[in-house]
This record gives sequence, structure tokens and C-alpha cells, in this order.
Amino acid sequence: MSASGDGRPARPKSVEDVSARLGEQAYLADRGLGTAIFLSLSLGQPLLLEGEAGVGKTEVAKALAPALGAELVRLQCYEGIDAHQALYEWDYTRQLLYVRLLQEGGDLREDAADEIFGPRFLVERPLLQAVRAGDRAVLLIDEIDRADDEFEAFLLEMLSDFQVTVPELGTIRAERPPAVVLTSNRTRELHDALKRRCLYHWIDYPSPEREVEIIAARAPSVPHDLARRVAGAVERIRTLDLVKRPGVAETIEWAKALAFLGADRLEHDSVEVTLGTVVKDHDDLVRIRDDLGRILADG
Amino acid sequence: MADDSGDGDDNGGTDRVVPALAGFGRELRAAGLPVGTGQVVSFCEGLTRLDPTDLRDVYWSGRACLVSRHDDLAAYDDAFARYFLGQAARGLVVAGDGTAAVDEALPSLHAPGPVAGTERAARQREIGHVASDFELLRAKDFADCDPDELAAIGRLLAGLVIATPWRKSRRTQRARKGQRPDLRRALRAHVRDGAVHRIPRRRPRVRPRPLVLLLDVSGSMSAYSRALLQFAYAVARGPGRVEVFCFGTRLTRVSSALARRDPDEALRQAAEAVVDWEGGTRIGESLHEYLRSWAWRGGCRGAVVVICSDGLERGDPDVLAAAMARLARLAYRIVWVNPLKAGPAYEPATRGMRAALPHIDLLVSGHNLTSLTDLATVIEMFD
Repeated sequence: MSASGDGRPARPKSVEDVSARLGEQAYLADRGLGTAIFLSLSLGQPLLLEGEAGVGKTEVAKALAPALGAELVRLQCYEGIDAHQALYEWDYTRQLLYVRLLQEGGDLREDAADEIFGPRFLVERPLLQAVRAGDRAVLLIDEIDRADDEFEAFLLEMLSDFQVTVPELGTIRAERPPAVVLTSNRTRELHDALKRRCLYHWIDYPSPEREVEIIAARAPSVPHDLARRVAGAVERIRTLDLVKRPGVAETIEWAKALAFLGADRLEHDSVEVTLGTVVKDHDDLVRIRDDLGRILADG
Repeated sequence: MADDSGDGDDNGGTDRVVPALAGFGRELRAAGLPVGTGQVVSFCEGLTRLDPTDLRDVYWSGRACLVSRHDDLAAYDDAFARYFLGQAARGLVVAGDGTAAVDEALPSLHAPGPVAGTERAARQREIGHVASDFELLRAKDFADCDPDELAAIGRLLAGLVIATPWRKSRRTQRARKGQRPDLRRALRAHVRDGAVHRIPRRRPRVRPRPLVLLLDVSGSMSAYSRALLQFAYAVARGPGRVEVFCFGTRLTRVSSALARRDPDEALRQAAEAVVDWEGGTRIGESLHEYLRSWAWRGGCRGAVVVICSDGLERGDPDVLAAAMARLARLAYRIVWVNPLKAGPAYEPATRGMRAALPHIDLLVSGHNLTSLTDLATVIEMFD
């Protein structure tokens, strides 16, 4: 791994390089995801990740940041988020206090306004942080589908030129744009314009073999045999008609819990007490208990 | 795999493959995928950093650059197999790495055809007499309406707006009275006037609640399906978020089809999307399917849910009861529109209705235009 001038690892040179570096961060990316990330980095286009809840969309960005020697800047979207909460805000309380202070000291000068609306009182929010950090950051825009249409339009503008104008301070521009990862749970269809700006990758549930590898990478304390059985059982659980199918995180938690109890195979009792780590809905629990014999077939 | 991440100009092979890659873009467009020129440029540029002779690289970079919807992945796989492998085969396997199984049930049944463009003009001339007898039409049962009358009803429905009740959003807006002080305005006032005499306030903004329509298009509802779909088209124009689904034996989302501006086109697309017109009814399983695939992602939480069905359930009523219970926990209010209720002696005695009844906030008939407009008013009044 060669290093650039400031001691950070250089950008990946190939798909294999991407996968290897993510592997060092205990994230196993298949070829499709590796290609998408590699292209996103080399073309400088944001990467939009979609998939069922719990397949590790957010984890991609979390692993990518250290893999690139960059800082992770996370913008969690929610209904009603607006440009100010994403970009910057003025610290009004401190500003008011400061004005009061100047007044009492009797030195409220002409240029006080410049000082009040200066960097001292600016609260940086994730997007401004990311613009300032440039390619020293990986910007994660999480659950973009939760934000409103207007915010999406604002984001589109932001992602195309990576500059922020604070009227009181001037324009701040990223010389080299940060790597950007967007995730969506598809609670609504995103706008076409935004999607066209992005590279797209759909993350599926991993195959059982893959999931065993993931457990091994994420929870090395879990015996291989147990990991294999857990992955098999989770795969069967996912085929059931559930309200919320378990994600990869749930598989790992389950394997950890069973390993903690000292289990090396899936037995009725230990499964019964740990089932809550995989399935978190009452109706689903009932369903699975009904079908436990089949699910633990090779346990 | 090409290992140089430098500019692609030195990749001699690329020039020759660009026309082929661009041709793939056209192939995808022909298959109905919305592929923009910018995306094709990204695709070609991306492949210069990879190996354009390795089909796996072509497959994956095309998938990343040219597809932007999960629903399009199957069509992409088909087009890829056709274009690069010269086969119309399904279940393409890309070198043991990416599997792209395609299992796409094609619409086997078609909707009762919507009025075509040329016919429409002719019919529009004919409906003069219908529109003149407006009140009669408003009260006429949809089941007794002929196609002309239904078309007229469609036009009347188009003027209908359902406003859902409001809920508080996390955003705030300026207000004279409100819980939160508006520090931003206070500061501005302070800088301007040297003092703040009255603390400006903010209060939460309110937004319309989402509306979810679930329409039964099974055989027993066929007399009403068309009118209800027109109703849905009108409602989808409402102020808040509106999701529309049709069901018979299975569930189809028609929200995006109904979002089209031209009503005939919208209804045609919606009708095409539904695969089981006038089949049997499995209300419970359809609701269950809705809850499983759509509700948890949002759209249902805190929503007003309107189910239009006669409640003649062929499936297991226990499944329906369980689905209704779950729906009732997620939704804000549930309205059941049952055209049979218009009959004077109607009792919700069918197994399906009995299972659903405990979870319904309101049961209305919706068999004619008047009752549908009343429904609009009632929904607005919920609070």
C-alpha cells in the first residue's frame, strides 16, 4: 500500500485493492460492491447503496473511511431535516451573550457584527465539515429516503459542486471532493436526478458461506462450526414470511450470544433464550418458535 | 483486471469498445430502463479503469452505472444476456460470482380496457345528457352505471381532493405564540434595535398525514373497481403523501402509475400493472403482503388507511384478523369502504368482515359518487 504526500494511503488502484482494504477493516465486499466502490472513487461520483435493512449498507462507509485513511463524516437524515441542520448554524445563544457582553462593556463597535457572524460562532454541521475536509473525509449520507424532497434537491446541488456559501463568510469549496456514500431503505423512490448523479449498488443478503466468513471476521471468538450452523439457521429464518427479516448484524449478535453461553451447536434451550437477538418482533418470534424444529435441522 | 488507475487514454482497447458499450445503453433504453447519456459516459469512463474485455467487469460496472432502481435489475440482467451473450435465456450466471436469476411473473390478465384516445372524444360528445342529470348520477350505484357514465364520474372525481388530518412535523415555523423561542430572530432584532422587547417564537409546523388506499379488484368487486381506481387517481393528487395498492389474489403497487398527469394514461398504466383483475380475493394475505413489503418502510405509520373491499374473503379469516390487528397498530385510522353496505339490510356478517370489524374505525359504503365525496369529508374531519 503506497502512501501519498501526507502519509495517508493512496486511493485504491483496482477492485481487488478495494476488497483487500475493506477486508482489513473486517468488511467483506463481494465483487459487485468492490467494483461499485472502486468506480465511485475513481470517477468521483457518489455511491448510492440500497438493500433490506441490516445488510450492512452503513457499514460500508464505516469501513471505507479507515480503509482510505480518511475521517468519517456522517449525516443522518430524518423527516424534516433542513439545509441548516446539514450545513451550518449560528450559535445564537452564544452570539446573544456576546452582544450583551459588548454592550455592558460599552464597546459595541461598528464592526461587531462581523465578529458576531465570524468563524467563532459558526457551528459546523456534517456537510460543511465534509466540504472543508475534502478528500480527507468519507461523507456518509444515511437513510436519505427519510428526508423530504426539498432536502434531496438541495443535496443534489451540493453533491454536484461541493461548495458551501455562508453569506457572512464567503464561499468554501472542496478542492478535491470527499468520497460520498448514500444509503436508502427505499421507503420512497428517490428522485431520478439524484439517482443519475450516483452509482448504484443493491446489497443482497449474503449467501450462508459468505455469512460464515462475515461472522469469522466480525466475531473471531465464535467457533467455526457454530458460525456455520447459525448462518444456516438464519438463512432458513429469512425464507419465512416475517415482518422483519434478520439482517447480518443480527446473525453476528446471535452467534456471539450463543458462543458466550458456551454452545457449540444449536440446541433447543440455548436457542430459545437467545432468539431475541435475531428476531425482534413478537409475531415473528411466535412464528419461528412454531417452526423451530425445521430451522434447527442440522443444529 | 487493468491495474493502472491513471487516465484511460492509454488503454488502447477502449476506443473500439465504446460503440459497443454505447449500444448496450440503447439496448437498456429499449428495455425500458431510464438510462441517461451521463450514465453511459460514466460507464465507458469507468471501464477504462477496469478491463473492458472481462465480462464480469462489464457486468458489474454497468450495473453500478446504468441501473438506478432495484426493480430494474432483472431487466438489466435480461438485456445483458441478450446483448453480450447473445441469448434470451433467463437465469444468467456471471462467471460464478454474481448470480442474476430472473423470475418475473408477467401480467397474465389484463384490466378492463380504459377508454382509448379516439374513442374518448366521441364519448365526450355523448355524455352531455349524462352530465346534465348530475344529481341522478351522483346517487347512482356504480354497478348500474354504463361506461359513459363511469367516464363522467371519473371527470367529476378528478375535482375531488381528500385532505388528510394534520400531524406535527419536526420542523418549526415562525409564530406569534409557540413553545420555542426563535433565537435567530431574537438576535437579529437585538443587533437591529439594541434590545429584544418581545421574544419571537416558533412552533412545530404541521403536515398532512399520509394516506394509503388499498383497492380490492377481485371478481366480486368488478362493478366498482374502475370507479374506485378513478377515485384513487383523484386522491393521489392530494396534498400529502398518497400510496395506492390494488389487490385480489396478490398485491400490486400502482402509486407511481397513478402519478401520471394524463388520467387515461395513468389509469391504463395502473390497470396494466395489476395482474389479477377479477380473480379471487385473498384480503388477509394481500394485507399481510402489504404490511410485509411496504408498511414497515413507512408510508403506513400514522397514516389514514382506506381499504375498499366487499370483504368476501376466500382465504383464512384468521390471517385477515392478524393483518388487521397489525395494521391498526401502525395506522392512525382505518376506513373500510364496502359497496355492499349500501343495501338496506346489510350486516357485516361475512367471515372476512367479521374478522376485520374490530379494527376498523369507520365503515362506509362508497358505492356511488355522493358517498365517495362524503368519505373525503369524513377523512378530513378525523382528529
